[in-house]
Amino acid sequence: MVYLVLALVAGLAAVERKGFLQAMLSRPIALGPLVGWALGDLNGGLFVAAPLELFWLGAVNLGAALPVHEALGATAITGGAVLAGRALGTGVAPEIAVLAVLLCAPIALLGRRADRLVEAWNERLALHAEAALAHHELRAAVRVNLMGLVLPFGIAAALAPAGAALAASVVPAVLRAVPGAAAPLRLGFFAFAGLACASGAKALRAKDSPRIFVTALGVALVAAFAAGRLHA
Amino acid sequence: MSAPRVPRATLARVFWRCLFLQAAWNRRGMQNLGFAYAIDPALRALYPEPARREEALARHLGFFNCHPYMAAAIVGGAIHHEERVAAGAEPGAQPARYKQTLQGPLAALGDGFFWTALRPFFGALAALGALLAGWPAIVAAILVYNAIHLWLRVRLFLAGYAKGDGVVGEIARLGLPVAADRLRAAGSALCGIAAALVIAAAAGQGGIPAGALTALAALAGLAALTHGARLFPAAYAAALFGAAVAAAAGRLHGVG
Repeated sequence: MVYLVLALVAGLAAVERKGFLQAMLSRPIALGPLVGWALGDLNGGLFVAAPLELFWLGAVNLGAALPVHEALGATAITGGAVLAGRALGTGVAPEIAVLAVLLCAPIALLGRRADRLVEAWNERLALHAEAALAHHELRAAVRVNLMGLVLPFGIAAALAPAGAALAASVVPAVLRAVPGAAAPLRLGFFAFAGLACASGAKALRAKDSPRIFVTALGVALVAAFAAGRLHA
Repeated sequence: MSAPRVPRATLARVFWRCLFLQAAWNRRGMQNLGFAYAIDPALRALYPEPARREEALARHLGFFNCHPYMAAAIVGGAIHHEERVAAGAEPGAQPARYKQTLQGPLAALGDGFFWTALRPFFGALAALGALLAGWPAIVAAILVYNAIHLWLRVRLFLAGYAKGDGVVGEIARLGLPVAADRLRAAGSALCGIAAALVIAAAAGQGGIPAGALTALAALAGLAALTHGARLFPAAYAAALFGAAVAAAAGRLHGVG
């Protein structure tokens, strides 16, 4: 049942991402909590949402260029982390999240390849529309547009649960087999999250992005230190 | 005879269909199927004769590619021109000419404002909000983003419909490039603040060395990405380097 829910969320996100609306509902920051909530662990989904959003902040569809499929990657990672956390009885912890990222992030690259297939399939739809118009079937020529939503839905609905299932089986096995790996992996997660913030700043392409990023980081750290959030 | 007008309900339907502009994006005609799908209700209202409607639909099945939000202005403007074509005030080629002229510039403007400034800014804002206040901050950020995006989309559609070629002046008045520069700078600052929170969280869990290592990952990552490093290898390197250093430090302290 959980995989069915995951398939549905992934499919709808894939449609929203390009074919319909594009209202940020398929961004990792929205999908993380949504997937977590759908699988019964809102906080687990929330935990991975922010780093994933910043990591993939630059995944945008500019012209004919295809970005990685961040919605697919985020759904698989969140689903895998939540299910692995449930299997281990700990909820989504940093060591679980980082393993889910390492295992499932390539699915976003796979999603980009799938998007190329979708484009090729849509080319056939375009030919179909032209043929319908040539046969004076105007309604058919127009309606064919909606057929383009089917394949992205199906691909995401198949790949996201597969990725989550992989993480849900591998992550608990690794952490049970090597319990000592949990502490180092925890730091691995924070290192990934730090890099994700840098990736966000890079994606924004501001003229002085590195300087602004470093200045803001420094000022916020000093403020956090002053507020007693850092342990001396 | 008065010029034919597209009813308001039909305009609303066309706008709704604009949201499906990229449903069947393809390399042959790009958003051509989406454009024809969107404008079809207006063509049905303007051309009761099947032959004229077919002719009109054929010109909208031609190549079209624009930013999906900015395209609303072109769909509205194309209806404006189709009304004039239906009234005999313009040649049939005019709507296609209008689309060809505007699609490139508006695509560049839309990509530069919405995709590389407004949406990433709100993504960074939502991420920072999630770190500080949880899911309500995400909901708030997404609601504000969509209020802005949908308002602009509706406004561009109506301006295109009302003014036709005059929509260019309307868009220029929005000052999108200047706003984009400010949003990009503000978004970079939000990412820096988010990095500070991550560093603080790492330090909270693993002490100052963990915080320092996270800061190193952020700063070295930024330097590497700015100098052309690829994102995925950098992410794997950061996560594995962090874990390896922590494992080595644990061994040194006899707790690994």
